[in-house]
Amino acid sequence: MDAFRKIDIDQYEEDVLLEEELYDADPRDPATVLTDTKSKVGAVRGSLSKGDIAGALNLVLDSPPYGPNVEEAKNLNLQTLVSILNSTKSTEIPAIVRALSPDAQDTLMKYLYKGMALPGWGDVSGSILLTWHEKLTEVAGTGCIVRVMTDRRTV
Amino acid sequence: MSNTLRPYLAAVRSTLTAALTLEDFASQIVERHNKPEVEVGTSKEVLLNPLMISRNENEKVLIEPSINSIRLSIKIKQADEIERILCHKFTRFMMQRAENFVVLRRKPVKGYDISFLITNNHTNTMLKHKIVDFIIQFMEEVDKEISEMKLSLNARARVVAESYLLAFSS
Repeated sequence: MDAFRKIDIDQYEEDVLLEEELYDADPRDPATVLTDTKSKVGAVRGSLSKGDIAGALNLVLDSPPYGPNVEEAKNLNLQTLVSILNSTKSTEIPAIVRALSPDAQDTLMKYLYKGMALPGWGDVSGSILLTWHEKLTEVAGTGCIVRVMTDRRTV
Repeated sequence: MSNTLRPYLAAVRSTLTAALTLEDFASQIVERHNKPEVEVGTSKEVLLNPLMISRNENEKVLIEPSINSIRLSIKIKQADEIERILCHKFTRFMMQRAENFVVLRRKPVKGYDISFLITNNHTNTMLKHKIVDFIIQFMEEVDKEISEMKLSLNARARVVAESYLLAFSS
């Protein structure tokens, strides 16, 4: 077929929908996001050493980095979260999950799916993520998964 | 069912249940066309975030939801060369008869072994929880089926080798 038939002419239309119009961009600039995330790592480590897992989770799930240009901050935040998840006993999970706010539950679910999409990355372990996923679904229901699917602000 | 398989299937079940909220949606690009948006991928506002559920690198499920269709791709566990061949033959056999399975896709998505395409027509004519049950049952059975085939293949090979080499022993 002639190559000109393959040209996507709709992209030159003036009311074309762009990727960044689907969600509100993060007001912070990438450098600030990165320093914010880095400062959270230390605070999380502090809470973890005191055994305050709920506090550490709330810290890491609060205003997570999203959108383009912040890959480094995203990876750092995921790494911090995975270290929290790995150090939690499976019997404590239901109580911790129940204590989270609905927004934090949605963000946690986003990170669980992100972690599962990267099997073997860092110290991500499939079985631990699956256990968390199961407990979180019991508490937050399928609505939580639907919100992960529809929210364009991917972490 | 083994202890590690259960949370994996539970995660697939809840994700699939969440994703199977489909409605009729005509194409925004071509008038009087109605196609699965996840396949054509021309309007990005109706495609939702794809979700992946993985047990390890070799066993994972990718669910790509959209407004009127979802695509579910499975990567089946293949430990060695024999399992790879058996898995290939098995999925090929099924995919050649895809119309009998209604929701099966004729070709797998790249990087996966078998794919299902569920559209709003399927959820209209069939019960949603039955579709979910079908997929979960398929995932349970396929591992069992392949390891069974591998065992009988090995047993058969042993018998054949024995009777063949018997001729040289006397």
